[in-house]
Amino acid sequence: MLLRRCTQGLSLISLLLISCALILDDMAVLLAGGTLAMGILGQYLLFDNRLREIVTSVEIRRSLNRNPVRKGTTLQVASTITFRGSSRMHIQVEDLLPPNTILVDGVISVTTSPDPSSQTHQFNYRIIPVIHGTHHFSGLSVHVRNIFFEDTITLTRESDREPVLSVQPSGLFAAPVSDVSGGTMDSRKMSVWKGVDIHSLREYTIGDDLSHVDWKISAKHDKIFIRKYSGVMSHPPLIIVDLPWNGMPYPEKDFNRMVSDVTGMVKHTIQTYQYVSVLLISGPNILHLIREEKNISRCISALQEWMHPAERFVHFYRMPDRSDLRSHVRDIENVLQQTTDTRTLAFYELLRDRYLTILQYQRAPAFSGQVARTLSQLLMSDAYLFSLGCGDSSHIRHVVRQLQSRKIRVHIRIVDATLSGTSSIRAYLADTRGVRS
Amino acid sequence: MKPLLPEYLFFIALAAGVTGITLLAGSPVWYLNVILLTLLLGIMVITRTWHDRGFYLVCGGEPLVVACSTINLWAGLFTVCMLAGIVYGALGLCESRQDLRPFVLFCGSSFFIVLVIQLSNHVLLPLLILGSITAIILAIQSVRAYQFRKLYSGA
Repeated sequence: MLLRRCTQGLSLISLLLISCALILDDMAVLLAGGTLAMGILGQYLLFDNRLREIVTSVEIRRSLNRNPVRKGTTLQVASTITFRGSSRMHIQVEDLLPPNTILVDGVISVTTSPDPSSQTHQFNYRIIPVIHGTHHFSGLSVHVRNIFFEDTITLTRESDREPVLSVQPSGLFAAPVSDVSGGTMDSRKMSVWKGVDIHSLREYTIGDDLSHVDWKISAKHDKIFIRKYSGVMSHPPLIIVDLPWNGMPYPEKDFNRMVSDVTGMVKHTIQTYQYVSVLLISGPNILHLIREEKNISRCISALQEWMHPAERFVHFYRMPDRSDLRSHVRDIENVLQQTTDTRTLAFYELLRDRYLTILQYQRAPAFSGQVARTLSQLLMSDAYLFSLGCGDSSHIRHVVRQLQSRKIRVHIRIVDATLSGTSSIRAYLADTRGVRS
Repeated sequence: MKPLLPEYLFFIALAAGVTGITLLAGSPVWYLNVILLTLLLGIMVITRTWHDRGFYLVCGGEPLVVACSTINLWAGLFTVCMLAGIVYGALGLCESRQDLRPFVLFCGSSFFIVLVIQLSNHVLLPLLILGSITAIILAIQSVRAYQFRKLYSGA
């Protein structure tokens, strides 16, 4: 409870009068001070009583346009707040957002002038959850004031905090500008390839290429200086790890091997290219992106945190890629032109109709868009996709399609301990050596 | 004809009462009450459109309360009640019959205060009684406020 400016002044006068009455032993001054104090006390009791009446009458109903939602996506909220007003009281009611959400647009508070009737107010606003998990709304804030007092009370009853917002993890939604550009990056390692950046200058020694002489610096210092150019190297590959679903059994031995392979590749990539990017998915769900991490220990600890069988909020159930379907339809039409057998024709026509029906009703999945947005943040020429290959693997096709559309070479590593031959990490090391040698 | 605002009605009653009390008492400083009445009227007129008008009216009326109480405590009670009526009227708190209830309660509690003061010889005893009553009310109110907040805010 806060005293407003008028009440502060009146309290001060009352205090002064009572002090004077005590010092002067004057009953008249005591009467003036005492009645003033009693008046303030009475107003306080009246205010408190009305505040209780208002607060007990407040009700809220919220509805979300969808729940659960993905982290970083916009969510529409409609709130209906009902409360009984009061004469002489200004009331401000504010709908409090769930923690870790950003208000995009809309109004979440209303201020009413003194009116004793029952009032209903409708709020429509949009929020963006920025952290995944389950979040309750924070409740309601009711601010009441009259001429003498003001007070704010935050209502956090169960009914004031409903509904529970379920935020699912998603790929990084903001696309920051990459600090590397072009098809290659400069490196300070020794290389036969000359980059464009000057790494350092040194004095000329016999045998140096005279085309590398920096003539301006040489003229300034009266010595011949040679430019040392940075070497060039390709961008590190993107490592994509498809984690198994924790809702069904998976081969633990293969999973452990996949973890070990991914860890080895990450270490090798950081040692070779200075940084690595790892995209962790579980079916058609983007879980986490380790973006251009340079520190091996930090990257390994992130992998330890994330590389476990994960919950899949979305399943594809063998959803075919639209591009593949269109390609199948084209192939069938070619076959239909060349075939004369009626039974074969009937079969292919039926198959084509089925494909066209699927194309008509099936939209491009959100997962493809998320993969595209995530890939747009990174620069790479190769991508390695690790998967156990158990269960539905149609999401892999969607990932590969996105990578191929960006002219990125894709290497898929289905980890299976029962298969003999070179392990994926050995194959990768062989690949990189082959490229660099 | 436009009806008089409630604060002016209360002021007319106050002016009549104070004049009567001054005349009856035959006070040698009768002019002081007249000056203080004029001062209150001036403040009422000047502060018609000001914010926190109640504060200025109380500031202007308290010297009159003290002056009337010096003549007679019951005259002081009358002045306090009329001043409260002026402030209530000025703040728009006298618009309905229900609004009069706090005003009547205030007059009743002021009567109790005057009674306590009347029965005492020195300031200390009535001050202790009033202070104790205020402390008890505030303590009860604090507990109620805590319970209320715990129920609605969980804090």
